[in-house]
Amino acid sequence: MEKLKISRGFTPKLTGKPDMSLIRLPFPSTIGCSAGDIPFIRPKLLVKEGQSVKTGTPLFTDKRDTSIQYVSPATGKVKKILFGERRRLLEVIIEPDTQDEFIQFDPISEATLAQMEKADLVDRLKQGGLWQGLRQFPAKDTAEPDHTPAMIIVSLNGNDIFSPHPAVVLKENMDAFLTGLALLRRFSHRLVITAREDCLDDLQNLSPDMGGLITHVTDTAYPAWNPGAVLYQLKETQAENSSWCISLAHLVMMGQFLMTGHYPVDKIITATRGEYNRPHILIRQGAPVNTLTAPAAPGGMVTTGRFNGRILDPVTHLGFFENTLNIIDGAPEDEMFGFVRPGLGKPTVSATFLSSLFKKPAQMDCTLHGEPRACINCSYCERICPNDLLPSFIMKALHADEIEEALELGLLDCCQCGLCAYTCPSKIELAKILADGMDSHYKDSQYKD
Amino acid sequence: MKNPIKKLFDDSAHLFTGDGKYKKYEPVWDATKTFFFLPSPKTGVMPFIRDSLDLKRYMSFVILALLPVTLFGIYNTGFQSGRAAGEAYSILKCFMVGAWYVLPMIIVSYGVGFIWEFIFAVFRRHKISEGFLVTGLLFPLTLPPTIPLWQVALGISFGVVIGKEVFGGTGRNILNPALTARAFVFFSYPVSMSGDIWIAGKTMVDGITGATALSVTGFEGQAIGSALSEAGYPLSSLFYGLIPGSVGETSALCCLIGAAILMVTRIANYRIIIGGITGVIATSILIWLIPGGTETWANAGPLYHLFAGGFLFGISFMATDPVSAPGTNPGRWIFGFLIGFLTVVIRVANPAFMEGAMLAILFMNVFAPLLDHLVIKYKTSKRIPNV
Repeated sequence: MEKLKISRGFTPKLTGKPDMSLIRLPFPSTIGCSAGDIPFIRPKLLVKEGQSVKTGTPLFTDKRDTSIQYVSPATGKVKKILFGERRRLLEVIIEPDTQDEFIQFDPISEATLAQMEKADLVDRLKQGGLWQGLRQFPAKDTAEPDHTPAMIIVSLNGNDIFSPHPAVVLKENMDAFLTGLALLRRFSHRLVITAREDCLDDLQNLSPDMGGLITHVTDTAYPAWNPGAVLYQLKETQAENSSWCISLAHLVMMGQFLMTGHYPVDKIITATRGEYNRPHILIRQGAPVNTLTAPAAPGGMVTTGRFNGRILDPVTHLGFFENTLNIIDGAPEDEMFGFVRPGLGKPTVSATFLSSLFKKPAQMDCTLHGEPRACINCSYCERICPNDLLPSFIMKALHADEIEEALELGLLDCCQCGLCAYTCPSKIELAKILADGMDSHYKDSQYKD
Repeated sequence: MKNPIKKLFDDSAHLFTGDGKYKKYEPVWDATKTFFFLPSPKTGVMPFIRDSLDLKRYMSFVILALLPVTLFGIYNTGFQSGRAAGEAYSILKCFMVGAWYVLPMIIVSYGVGFIWEFIFAVFRRHKISEGFLVTGLLFPLTLPPTIPLWQVALGISFGVVIGKEVFGGTGRNILNPALTARAFVFFSYPVSMSGDIWIAGKTMVDGITGATALSVTGFEGQAIGSALSEAGYPLSSLFYGLIPGSVGETSALCCLIGAAILMVTRIANYRIIIGGITGVIATSILIWLIPGGTETWANAGPLYHLFAGGFLFGISFMATDPVSAPGTNPGRWIFGFLIGFLTVVIRVANPAFMEGAMLAILFMNVFAPLLDHLVIKYKTSKRIPNV
């Protein structure tokens, strides 16, 4: 087991760490299949309102590759198809029946897995609606099936600091996890399986084999376990830039799918708020947000991650890629003389508040704590970037439309952890600017042939 | 109950925002409002939580770090004035007399500078930047207390307009605005900036020289160290700062306190300060080792070079201006070191301008982008390319 240490990053001291117990919530009254959390997708609907669907029926596909399908997590009737601005598909909402009817495939044992053609495996995963769990760097788009990645990074920890604990996820799903790993071995010779250092004991208590499976332990500083940060630490050649990654949840789902032959519908999530230590929640894939958590206070918001993710409307449903819910409250009002307060309870990367003298976990709100200003070149963003980027220089290159320069500065190494914008005293939306630059470059590069 | 000040701003909001009657003056209204109430809009995009530090607090810390220098500067002005008048003023009187000279300079600097800031904010429709609070205080601290106030007004105008706003305002200037202002006064009105008028006092009494430490040289083979002591500038005075000089620069101790505040809170980059001090020490030792010239500053040694003149003030508060300094860490080391190097070289080699710190910093400001460029070129060559 190798130790991976990021050079910078940041260890946020936050309250609200979920405890290790697991509760099951009752079956929700609506189930949604969201398109909002899927990057780069150009969805094409395959169903109409009122149509009956089984669990595993494709609901929409990606126009760029119509063999990649997004399938129904429940059996029932399509109740409503929700569109956003310019008729962008937001989600397909299903009114579920009491009984599940699955689209059934033949189960595949680990022995057959080793003998099956790679193309057949890919087809099976695509039909089962699970292929998209594999993502390809640098843009983290759906993996290209014809590509042989130099490595596949399996991050046992999720995108947020309080994502589901891998030991909770693996407790009942060890077999599925092992099947999933056997599957990944068919796609690449090198599997990188990372776990955060503070999860290691629980994992080893779960199964003594874990020690042999985990290849790398990462730092506890955010975002050391992010696949993008792991790749940056590990890569030695240019070929490794197009490696793949997959989250633990999706790997387990793939394993379950192969073993049972039908779409796995259960999901473990965490819903954190303020200082409450809540249990992990076992729910149906695509459950509505408002059944999982109380609504945010006025001025607050529900998001799928503190540092990255999206803001959720409580009436929408949790997406395929999401397994963390955060309720972040807003500040009650603008503080009088806020800029000169001692700030005992104000978390900061700098040392300009008294809070930096104490290591007490803090509760954070979703306000900017200031106003946007010009970049003054203070390098706070550089000091915190896990992948040794100079975010402010990249931002300036992007503003000047110097995409080549931005790429040279390592734009595509950005793992979109959001730390640069988190720390910026000028409140510049660096993370958004970099992510947009990266995405537009990626979209352009797709048209080259 | 609602805060009455908050109520005042809320009630007047319709006049200044949107189609309000005084729409033009929104920047002033906004600046006043945000001074009282830290604006905290909701985050719209990732990350959804943000650090508590904002630019207002960032700049406030520079002001805080400048407080020891400013207070000591006021005291010392009064003290020197007392010495020039041949009286020993009490502490209170020193402050009173000092404030009489220094406060008008600060008020004029802030007032005139703020008017320019305001004009540009109104016409360019940008917000009034907190950076000016620092520039407006730094500039008077670099001036001798006897400077005519109209020169202060002219200087800060040049600094704000030519040093900053013509480049597009805060964050886009290539030179430190306060030093640009000082350089303008220095070259335009050299009589006010040098010679025997550094002491705020009308009557000069025999036995007290009006010249600053840097203009002292030994003669007839006298070593610089003893010449300085004889002229009233032993090392301890240079360190504590009860000597004539520009308002803020005399006390090395207060400058170091300010530098420590800035470095500990990570507002200034310690690399620039440490690099600069290293530069002065290394260069002065190197020059000191060259035989001959015992009577000149070439033979003064590192401590005299550090504590005399405005070097520590400059390296702590001027060179660490993040906008005009390099944005890369190796660049900052080199930047700081070369400021130290050039300061000593100018002091030793250039009899026309005894004080090298101002010129060294401005000169290196111009080279900061080049340093960044070289560092980035090197850094990107080490990166595994993505494309």
